[in-house]
Amino acid sequence: MTIAPPAATSVARVTSSALWGLEAALVTVEVDVANGLPAFSVVGLPDAAVSEARERVRAAVRNSGFEFPLRRVVANLAPAERRKEGSGFDLAIALGVLRATGQLARDPGTLCLGELALDGAVRPVRGVMPRVRGAIGAGVTDVLCSEENAAEAAAAGARAVGVATLRDAVAHIAGVTRLAPTPVPPPAIPARPAVDLADIAGHETPKRALEIAAAGAHSLLLIGPPGTGKTLLARALPGLLPPLDADEAVVASAVHSVAGLVDPARPLLAARPFRAPHHTASHLALVGGGSPPRPGEVSLAHAGALFLDELPEFSRHVLDTLREPLEEGSITLSRAAAAATYPARVTLVAAMNPCPCGHAGDAAAPCTCLPDAVERYHARLSGPLMDRIDLRVHVPRLAYEELRERGRERTRDVRERVLAARERMRSRLGGTGRRTNAELTVAEVRTHCGLDDDADALAREAMRSRRLSARGVHRVLRVARTVADLAASERIRGGDLALALLLRGAA
Amino acid sequence: MIALGRGDPRYPARLRDLAHPPDEIWVDGDPTTLEAPAIAIVGTRRMTGYGERVAREVALACAAGGAVVVSGFAQGIDSAAHRGALDGGGRTIAVVGESIPLFVATVRGRRRPLVPRIREHGALVSQFAAPLAAQRWTFAKRNATIAALAGAVVVVEAGEVSGALITAEEARAIGRPVYAVPGPWGSSASAGANRLIATGRARALTSVRELLGGGPAASRATEPVLDALRDGPLGIDELARRMRADRSTLASRVALLLVRGELAALPDGRLRRT
Repeated sequence: MTIAPPAATSVARVTSSALWGLEAALVTVEVDVANGLPAFSVVGLPDAAVSEARERVRAAVRNSGFEFPLRRVVANLAPAERRKEGSGFDLAIALGVLRATGQLARDPGTLCLGELALDGAVRPVRGVMPRVRGAIGAGVTDVLCSEENAAEAAAAGARAVGVATLRDAVAHIAGVTRLAPTPVPPPAIPARPAVDLADIAGHETPKRALEIAAAGAHSLLLIGPPGTGKTLLARALPGLLPPLDADEAVVASAVHSVAGLVDPARPLLAARPFRAPHHTASHLALVGGGSPPRPGEVSLAHAGALFLDELPEFSRHVLDTLREPLEEGSITLSRAAAAATYPARVTLVAAMNPCPCGHAGDAAAPCTCLPDAVERYHARLSGPLMDRIDLRVHVPRLAYEELRERGRERTRDVRERVLAARERMRSRLGGTGRRTNAELTVAEVRTHCGLDDDADALAREAMRSRRLSARGVHRVLRVARTVADLAASERIRGGDLALALLLRGAA
Repeated sequence: MIALGRGDPRYPARLRDLAHPPDEIWVDGDPTTLEAPAIAIVGTRRMTGYGERVAREVALACAAGGAVVVSGFAQGIDSAAHRGALDGGGRTIAVVGESIPLFVATVRGRRRPLVPRIREHGALVSQFAAPLAAQRWTFAKRNATIAALAGAVVVVEAGEVSGALITAEEARAIGRPVYAVPGPWGSSASAGANRLIATGRARALTSVRELLGGGPAASRATEPVLDALRDGPLGIDELARRMRADRSTLASRVALLLVRGELAALPDGRLRRT
């Protein structure tokens, strides 16, 4: 390796990237090496992990066969007014030090992301996908990062070069050993659905509700005694969901990237996420948080489904925090140090027992609950959350004869209808950025939910008898729109509205 | 709220039938209700869908026939009876097992909204001075008062051990006719009621005509969906199976009944008659 003679001291500039939530911005790492007492400081609102970069960088530089200057070294992360977190600046700072001391002959000219080990190895960091996408948006298309992160950066659209060590990085930039860009990884192969509808006997109405939820992204609550197949039904949902489109895949993958949950070989999500947090989950786990704010389950389920089994067992406080993300489709986590916004557009599926003992309405075992206890059990689910439930369906215990029947339809066949219905929604909502009937605005409900005579008579009757509020009507119409879309009907027919009303419980 | 001592002309004469009539009763509501013809409907707190329907139908029939419904305002059958009487446009007396102010202050849930309705169309009654709280013996005393205030007692669903059986015994002791509604074979909620019939201590009540005398029995169940739900709530799939009906035409029918208020959806999604 040729090491250029020390040049006159100058300021080196290396590009890196900082992340706040999914928002990424380029950060210029400026390194100045000046005469004075030996010192190394990092300025520009670094957090603890960034400040600790000094020790890692010093050791990595030395252990890679370079010389760490016994002079006054200052690294500045510009713009300096926003707080920066994480270990992803190590590589950029080290390259800056080498460049400022003339040990690196050329400016890297790429986005540099990576943590350094003390022996000079380059380690992967979280959140590469949103950082690379941000950099591409700002005109930087070349990325230098760890080998583990390279596929992710390539998938995000960059010319990504993965390096194993700091020496490799220097050799590549200096042109001594040029490394080839990492090829764009093939998309992950969607896994076969874990549960096929044909494997579930009976339960025709719950399956229908599942189909409607999948097509229109409506929220669904399954209620029934223990062991009747609520969880099985919920697990059949992912198989019904349409594939991710390109935009959704990138955003959903970016959330997983920030959470450090990306498969290095297949960084782009292929199937819609299905997240099933346990009922002991804290609100931090569910909606995200911490400092710096990390995404929670509701964001990891973005563009997919969030399954809450044993709904009343979740703490009420935790469920209440779900309100905002369910309403807005995103969640903003504000902390003293930083605020982050994560997407959270999910199809909510929940399951619960009908009463504390679980056997209300169960032919196999008598319910031993007092009426007030049942009432308290349901009251644990706050009104605002239950308001968000579009479909409420009873999953009864089946008699032996029914259990012996196989399901009538396979997941594949039902999914065809879901895809066709989504296509109808897409053509209706084209250009609005919204994709499903669950997201129809009130004005759009008025435009797109034309009723035939039967449906009109039923809606009139419902309004007249005051069993439905105006808001309730809109919710029911969105579901009825999906039922009609599944039947490829442009108008909402009486039967479509009837089913929507029935599944809503006309409450 | 007024207090009626035994010397008060408004003190209900029927209570004097008891071996130990209360010295004083507190009445919150209309005291004239205490003199009107009355039927007591009592039963278990752990009622089934069947019991709820029967209690309600008997109470509706009483309301239609002009009889006041007397009960104990407990969860389950008692509340279903009060609610039925009020929904039927009738009057009802709730005899509570503790002092009225304490009961009113502590009652929660579905029974709470019944309090003002009962005050307006009937009365809350207690023989206990504030601030006495409910205890085992206060309920026994209360049950005797229920038996005395009514001209007849109907037991709808009582388990092997149930306060409703005490009411039945007290009624027999003072010569009030006792009826019990027969329950399904093996239903623990009806074990006590069935035993009353089996041991001859109560007459089996099979239609409200026997109770009120004369008049054709009210028969509402001409709609097959309502008829299929007579034994308690069902989910839509189970309903379709029992009726051997096509699911989509059934859905339309059920939706119409829902919006008309003839059916209601339980929180767990099953359907019940109103």
